[in-house]
Amino acid sequence: MKFEQPFNIANIPGPKMALVLEKGKPVAGMIKRAKRPLLIVGPDLTDAMFERVLKFVDKGVQVVATGGVIKRFIKAGYKADKIKTAVLHELANFLVDPEWKGFDGKGNYDLVLMIGSTYYYGSQVLSAIKNFAPHVRAISIDRYYHPNAAMSFGNLWRKEEEYLKLLDEILAEL
Amino acid sequence: MAIEFSKGVVVDELKNVTIKIGEVVEEEVEWAPMGPTPFPSIVTLRDWSFFLFKRYKPSYAPFCDMCCICTMGKCDLSGNKRGACGIDLLAQTSRVLALTAAIGTACHTGHARHLLHDIEHMTGKKLSEIPVDLGPEIAEVAPLTQLITGIKPKTLADLEKALKYVEEQIVQVLSSIHTGQEGSYLDYENKVLHLGMMDALGKEIADISQICAFGLPKGESNQPLIEIGMGVVDRKKAVILVIGHHAPPAFNIADYIQQNKLEDEVEICGICCTAHDTSRYWPKAKIVGSLGRQLKAVRAGIADVIVIDEQCIRADILYHSKKLGIPLICTNEKAMHALPDMSHEDPRKIIRYLLEGAPGVVILDPLKVGEVAVEVALAKRKKRGGEFKPVLNEEQFISYVKSCTQCGTCTLACPQGIRIGESMKAAEKGDRSLLEKRWDICIACGRCEQVCPKGIPIIDVFNFAAWNRIINEKGKVRRGRGPVRDSEIRNVGSPIVLGIIPGVVALVGCSNYPNGTKDAYTIMNEFASRNYIVVTTGCMAMDAGLYKDEEGLTIYEKYKDDFDGGCVANLGSCIANSHIYGAAIKVARIFAKRNIRANYEEIADYILNRVGACGVAWGAYSQKAAAISAGVNRLGIPVVVGPHGSKYRRAYLGRPYNHEDWMVYDVRTGQKVRIEPAPQDLFVSAETIEEAIPLIAKLCIRPNDTDRGRSIKLTHYIELSLKWLGKMPDDWHLYVRTETDLPLARREELLKELESKHGWKIDWTRKKIVEGPIRPYYAGFNPTNIERLFKHGFMTL
Repeated sequence: MKFEQPFNIANIPGPKMALVLEKGKPVAGMIKRAKRPLLIVGPDLTDAMFERVLKFVDKGVQVVATGGVIKRFIKAGYKADKIKTAVLHELANFLVDPEWKGFDGKGNYDLVLMIGSTYYYGSQVLSAIKNFAPHVRAISIDRYYHPNAAMSFGNLWRKEEEYLKLLDEILAEL
Repeated sequence: MAIEFSKGVVVDELKNVTIKIGEVVEEEVEWAPMGPTPFPSIVTLRDWSFFLFKRYKPSYAPFCDMCCICTMGKCDLSGNKRGACGIDLLAQTSRVLALTAAIGTACHTGHARHLLHDIEHMTGKKLSEIPVDLGPEIAEVAPLTQLITGIKPKTLADLEKALKYVEEQIVQVLSSIHTGQEGSYLDYENKVLHLGMMDALGKEIADISQICAFGLPKGESNQPLIEIGMGVVDRKKAVILVIGHHAPPAFNIADYIQQNKLEDEVEICGICCTAHDTSRYWPKAKIVGSLGRQLKAVRAGIADVIVIDEQCIRADILYHSKKLGIPLICTNEKAMHALPDMSHEDPRKIIRYLLEGAPGVVILDPLKVGEVAVEVALAKRKKRGGEFKPVLNEEQFISYVKSCTQCGTCTLACPQGIRIGESMKAAEKGDRSLLEKRWDICIACGRCEQVCPKGIPIIDVFNFAAWNRIINEKGKVRRGRGPVRDSEIRNVGSPIVLGIIPGVVALVGCSNYPNGTKDAYTIMNEFASRNYIVVTTGCMAMDAGLYKDEEGLTIYEKYKDDFDGGCVANLGSCIANSHIYGAAIKVARIFAKRNIRANYEEIADYILNRVGACGVAWGAYSQKAAAISAGVNRLGIPVVVGPHGSKYRRAYLGRPYNHEDWMVYDVRTGQKVRIEPAPQDLFVSAETIEEAIPLIAKLCIRPNDTDRGRSIKLTHYIELSLKWLGKMPDDWHLYVRTETDLPLARREELLKELESKHGWKIDWTRKKIVEGPIRPYYAGFNPTNIERLFKHGFMTL
């Protein structure tokens, strides 16, 4: 098993830390197996990352835009109705509630993927899910290692090609 | 033996008896009937807290999954496991919150106590000889003291009675944090709110005391403009930099400068709230900047002498001042840095000691600080040139940026994740713009320097690259005016409650911003330009003054400093933010004639339902800020914090889809009514200002808004969402009760959307909503969340 340091190096929550994902394919498998996957997209995205995010939308993964990134989707020609928007802090409060019916009224989500959230802010939301939402599995597909996720990519913020390849691997399997 | 004196007791024949008279209790004139909860204990307002928690769920995001407090630990509590003492992660997280709030509350309260000591020492008067007089336009003095204790203070001695009570409550809550006490997260949260309430009271006592004792402004508008920025410091003069929150030593410096006519030779400037309060005392004092400028200013070598008091001072201040050869004077027991205590020495001896090269001293007598600081600064000034230049030279700068190996360690240490290596690389190639731009995003914590394997002084490198910005950083801040006047409340009470003034936005707290200082300006400008009442204190008040509009005006020159729609009023330092709570309480007292004496629950309920106020602590970092927000929340006012605020570990968030959480009693009809989620949250962290600005507008919506008021508030909510997020809010329809709630200019368009998207029934001949809203609107709606008030009525005067 590979070990990784949190991107904010002192952000060590305790003994329970995310498994490091070294391949994209297993993530695709998890998305396909999930009954209700949700991709949380934050504002910390390069153009190349955003291009991949749009492909997730095109492949039918429900996306929720947080932190004002919705403007970028609209600029890219995506209708605001298709992409949900939320304040991530509020969304976390909904996700930990097993009775929440989701954005479409059909129920809470069983798999949450996170990309582009402001690192430390996203980390807190993942902590809420990890500790208080046993009904949700959270996976970070961001370019930073997120210890509070169940599984996370490693720190690839300086290895963009390697990182984008992982996103492409996921997309190729969907 | 105690002898009770009463009418008819004859004492003529007593021999060998000593009679001691303790406190003489004068019967207080009955200025208002005593409310139900004078001097509340932890349990007194627990029902109110629990009501809030039912609607606004304490929502936890632990910063740490372990508990490391006792020797049975460390305990792994992840997944809400229980530790060795039996506590689970929910309760442990709220316990940490209680500890955080206790620290913050103790800080403000300790400050208040210290002020009372200094006031007696510096003025030579007893507290009972100093009246609580806030001028002819403020009859409702100390609204928090009235509301919480039932005391309407006449002198500072009355405030001291309230202070003793606060001190006891802090001890009681702090004791509950010991292992083997509280086991419920809800009860810890109640304690957090109790502390928040105490914090508010402690701040009010502190600020009113210093206003009355030292002659600070008493709420007057049109305050003078104070110079702010790293570029405003006149290095031709001897420069004294004061840092902290407890200003009496700085007042003494100002006195010494004036008494010795040294205004042209000595500059006093400050960082953090001491800067605010020094300028409230002497408007020639300047403000270097907020907390985020501390290390940058100290390391830039801006000062000849540094004087610290308490709170928000860097723990390594002596390390840096010593390195630069700047004498450090510690004036407060809370931060003495192992320096010798020379409080009882002759000031001339202390001056000699410092000029002989000592790194610093402790002087706990504020009356000696002025002479020492000024004379040492004057002597130090003679030994240097008059220009202000970077501590690095060009050659050193180039050498440092070249030595960066791009290892990335600094970025992993940086709380903002700043790509420092990338900026160094660009600078090496001649482009310093990245370093300059990121200089402002950097909060100058210095963690990067701690880990740099090459030992690069990164703060100095940033300062060098941004030097042009530093020397041109010249803004203006309106001097902190203190309390809101009763006459202002008379003018705005009705428009606030009816919703015609769309809200009160209070920007307070620290400078741990996610993306630099300009956010403070942007948020204030957005709301002031829309006729919201904008009030501000502390670091945010400072940072907003650094920026100018296209016409070259700062926000304080652009808007008046009244407590009124379309104004921006700087009330002062962090303790002055107590006047913001005070303003909300005074709306209930002056506009609605509610009895505020020891009547906390009713007034908080009033504010939650009717006063569309929202606190914003965009850069909140401290334990004090945690206590402040808890105090604001308990009074029924929501708070938006920046993304770093998520690290407080807990939010209070509503679930709009849980209908039973949004029920209120309508006193007029005797019915229980489901209301719209207004306000939806009590404590929420937003990620960006694009997200925060519409959220703030939404959180100003209240169930009691009139249709005209709701229409105005919805207009802003929708417009701000379109402007900052590029789309209509997803939930705007939840706030529509009737067609007249809709923004006038878009009424037809929105009616169509309600019909097509949300399935509402519209009578198009009359353009009226027939079916759809959560509840209908009627003007007589009189909401309360408290069954007791519903059954027995409100306390009005």
